[in-house]
This record gives sequence, C-alpha cells and structure tokens, in this order.
Amino acid sequence: MSTQSNSGISRRTFLKAAGGVTLASTVGLPKPTRAQETGRLATLIDLSLCDGCPERDTPACIVACRAKNIETVPEPVDPIPKLLPRGKIEDWSKKKDVTDRLTPYTYLYIQKADVEYNGKQKTLHIPRRCMHCDNPACATICPFTANHKDTTGAVVINKNLCFGGAKCRTVCPWDIPQRQSGIGIYLHILPTLAGNGVMFKCDLCLDLIVEGRNPVCVDACPRQALLIGPREDIYAEARRRTESMNGFIYGDTENGGTSTLYVSPVPFDLINAAIDTGPGKPHFNPVVRSMAKTDAMGTAVLLAPIAGLVAGVAAAAGSLKKSSKEEGPHE
Amino acid sequence: MSDRILYDKGLVKRHSTIVLIEHWAIAISGLLLVLTGIFQLPIAQRYYITEVPGLTWSGDFIFSLNIHYAASVVFIAACLFHVFYHALLGHKAMLPKKGDIRQSIQVIKSFLGKAEEPPFHKYLPEQRLAYAGMVMIIAGLIISGLVKTYKNIFAPDLSLGILLWATWVHNLLFILFVLAFFAHMAAIVIKPNRPMVRSIFTGNIRLDYARHRHPLWIAELEPPPALPEQTQPETPSREPAGEEEPLQDVSLPEPPDTEEEPAEPAPESEEEHPEPPVKNIGEPDTNHKP
Repeated sequence: MSTQSNSGISRRTFLKAAGGVTLASTVGLPKPTRAQETGRLATLIDLSLCDGCPERDTPACIVACRAKNIETVPEPVDPIPKLLPRGKIEDWSKKKDVTDRLTPYTYLYIQKADVEYNGKQKTLHIPRRCMHCDNPACATICPFTANHKDTTGAVVINKNLCFGGAKCRTVCPWDIPQRQSGIGIYLHILPTLAGNGVMFKCDLCLDLIVEGRNPVCVDACPRQALLIGPREDIYAEARRRTESMNGFIYGDTENGGTSTLYVSPVPFDLINAAIDTGPGKPHFNPVVRSMAKTDAMGTAVLLAPIAGLVAGVAAAAGSLKKSSKEEGPHE
Repeated sequence: MSDRILYDKGLVKRHSTIVLIEHWAIAISGLLLVLTGIFQLPIAQRYYITEVPGLTWSGDFIFSLNIHYAASVVFIAACLFHVFYHALLGHKAMLPKKGDIRQSIQVIKSFLGKAEEPPFHKYLPEQRLAYAGMVMIIAGLIISGLVKTYKNIFAPDLSLGILLWATWVHNLLFILFVLAFFAHMAAIVIKPNRPMVRSIFTGNIRLDYARHRHPLWIAELEPPPALPEQTQPETPSREPAGEEEPLQDVSLPEPPDTEEEPAEPAPESEEEHPEPPVKNIGEPDTNHKP
C-alpha cells in the first residue's frame, strides 16, 4: 500500500516544493520517493504568502499540527514530583489551549509583525517552529542521545529516552524545545533528584516524511506558504523567490545553516523588532553557531590518537637506540 | 626497562620518568574528564555547583565541553603513547598472567588475615588484573568518545544506532571508570600496599620492602650471586614465570637465616618458593635499613 501512496504523495511534495511551475520546468518530473531514498530535505516558509488564516479561529497549520501531536503527550502524574535541591516544574497540561507561543502541546505557532518598510505598512504572519539546524547543538549535546538529527534533516526528540533536563533548550538559539514535567523515564529513576519531564518540539513529521509524505502543516496551509522538498531545490527556490521579491532570507546561514528558510519582503531585523520574543517566542536575530567554539578542540581530540601513537613509537625507537648504543661496545 | 636496584640508597627504581609522566597525565586529565563529563549533565545549576567559587563555568555546556575536549587530547595521547611505547619495548610486567585471579583471591584473603601472601613480581596480581580492566574501560571510553566527537563536528546525522551505542557505552563506562578510580584509591589505603605509593611520585620503592614483598621482581634485578661457594646451590632463577602453581606452597617456609637473602630465588617452575615470611609488611623492615 505504501509504495503506491508514497509515490503519489511524493509527487505532490515535489510539486509543492517546486513552487508550482518554476522548478518543475527546470528539474523535470519527480521520481518516486521511498522512505530509504529520502534525501536531505528542507522547508521554505514564504512570509509574502502566509496571511495567518484570518477566516479561521486558529490558523490551519497550527490546528493540523496540534491534531497530530497533542494526543502523543502523555498525561503527567499528579502530583508532579517536586525537584531537589531546586528546579522549576513546568506543567502545561492544564494550558493545552495556549497557541500564542511554543509549548509541549504547540510545536508551531504564528507570530504577527506590523512593520513599516519602504514607506509601506505591512502586516506579516510568521509560522514559528524548530528550524531543524544543519548541526543542531540541541541534538549533539544531548547526554543520552534522546535528541537526534535524522538523515532527512529533521531533528527529533525521542520522548521515551528524554529526561527533560532541558539542556537542548539551553543551547538552542531560539528556545524551541518545551518541557512538560511529570512524564517520561525520569519518573522511574530518581524523579526528585534527576530529570524533570520530557522536552517537546516539532519533528518535521518524521514519520510522514520518511514515507515521502508532507508534514501536516505543509498540507494544511491553504496558501501554500509552507513548502518542503529536496534541500538543494528548496534552497534554490528560496533564492529565486528572494530575488524576485527583492526580499530577504533567514535560516540559510543562521546557527551554521538550517533546514528552514524564511523568505520575506521585509528585513528580518525589522520583523524581529516588531514581534513578541521571550520564552517560547523565538526571535529573528542573527545567530552564530555556539558549538563552533568547540570545533577546533574537538578536531584536536580526533587527532590525539595519532599524536600519541607517533610519540609512543618515536620514544620507543629512541629508547631502543639508546640502549643499543650502550650495549654496542660489548657486542 | 629502567628498573634497577639503587643499593647505595636502599631503593629500587620501579618507574621511569616516562612512566610517571604517563601516569600523571592520564590521572589528571582523567579526573578533569570525570568532572567535565558530569557537567555535561544539566546538574550544575540545579545543584548549586555554579555558585561554587571557581566552578561558575560548570553550567556552561559549551565551555565545559571545550575543557572536556582539552583534557581528552592529553588523555587519549597519553594512553596511546603508553600502549605503543611499552608494547614496542616489550614491557609486560603489568599484563595479567595465568593464575592471577586465583592469586589475587589469596592476596585479598591475606589482607583479611586469612592467608599468607604469595611472593610478588613487580606488580601484585590484582594490579595486573586491574590494569587489564582499566585498559578495557579506557579503550571503550576513548572509542565511544571519538565517535561522539566526530558526530559533534562532522556528522550530526550519524546513524542513530551507532550514536546510541556510543553514548550509552560512554555513559556506562564513565560509571565503571569512577568506580575503578575509587578502587584504585582504596588499594593504597590498604596498609601493606602503602610502601608502593611513593613510587608513583618518586619512581622508587624501598629495597627492603621490595625484597620482602616483590622477591620475584628483585630476583630479576639482582645480579647472579657473586659468591658462588657461599650461596646455596639453588641459584636464583631469572625468569620466575609460573608462579601460579607454587601458591599453595608458600605457607611459611623457614625464614632465611640472615638478612642477606640475596635475591630470593624464584624457582622456575617447581614448588618451593623459599619465601621470607611475607606478611603484610607496611612498615620498614629495620633489618634492611639502608
């Protein structure tokens, strides 16, 4: 069953990614995609198209995302264990309806920005979720590998392995992962002393994209403001759109590059100044990859075995030479 | 091998300078790795460690990772140096020998006063076993750590299966490493072992102690008896290889009559280890004062 539906849906994926006609004409017809053939993907969020679904109570992408994900969050235990010696319990289970920021139940929300640019007043609606960075510190630094970057580019938290220490949120430049206390594996170990729940965030609907299908937000968008497709194609499409609207791009270099490209007719510093930012409300600042500061020393670590080997062999050779010299005259 | 008897000082050279440098490079970087490894868990803030003067950086994952890396460079290079240097020079004193498990049980019994110690080589049988265990722990830590480092820099989307293995091997071996460290410390608290401690600082141990407790090693270091007619016919054997058999028989032979007992002959293969009464000598033997 999957093969047939996969190829059909992946075709739609491609056509959406291609932004309709433009890319299709340059790249040609799509090939059927199977799970194991899914390469690196990227998404494009076109702020010139998103209008925040004014005709709906809640934008379609948010509704679709929550419909897919909200039930996957287990109910926390009651009471949620207190944390020793200190720590803040984060319980969103009574506030599942919050959709004006990221929460463990809302992986995608829409920021609104009223901006004046080139003498024109504009209102932008901006879907915000995990950027799915190319080298995500949240995943690489997770002490339990509960957070991992998939080969598709999706950065995914395994809620069965996550202790909710929120290290991923600490190192995320956009404060994306959100914690629900009182659930998860930590409850079975030392709940008052270690761990504090499970972290949640967008997983790019990994279960769907490995089958060649679209994330539900992409499919739900009535204006095709969200696209997904092969990374190179999406990057090319983002550049093309940016040029044609004389606009701006965000996400291609931020944090060392991401799988999420925002295309906007308005500069992102203006947008950033016009949106609410703070916990669960990501900014649009320029971001340097914080882990880059560790790359040099990490590379030295990878070379250390060779250094030790060479030094050991050299020292042994020196020692043998010395002892043979000392013994030389006797023999 | 730089092991030799320094008769004028009443000492035996047990570790070369290179060995001391290896040991302390691994020890200090290893402890730093344990500390910064712990700080990779999000506990520094929660447990007020960030408020300890000098440890305010403990909550900064990026900074502590850099220290972890820096310590790894020293640790890994020192470990690899150790392996290749000693392998190429054919140093085998630390490698486990046949019978070590049985012997070390007897040694532990002797610590409890329930048996006599067998005669030792340069190292105790449990030292050789501990060494083998530590080699395995450290090898696993290094390999898994290298995989994790490679992933951090070059391959964040490395196979999840490999990464889960690397991560959990690293985490579990970390626990074993810490336990092994405590065992290492506990070993030097045991009184009979204390005379060995100085050698990891100075390279030397007392000759009188070594004669009593490490006769098989001293036998290798001492020149063949210079006075053939005076010594007993049983000449010291240079290669005390099979020490596992004599175990049962070390029960108190007659103590040698003089303090001279040159190089307790370590019979090649047969029973009679004419050992001095190797009790747990923690204190200097006054007979052998240099």
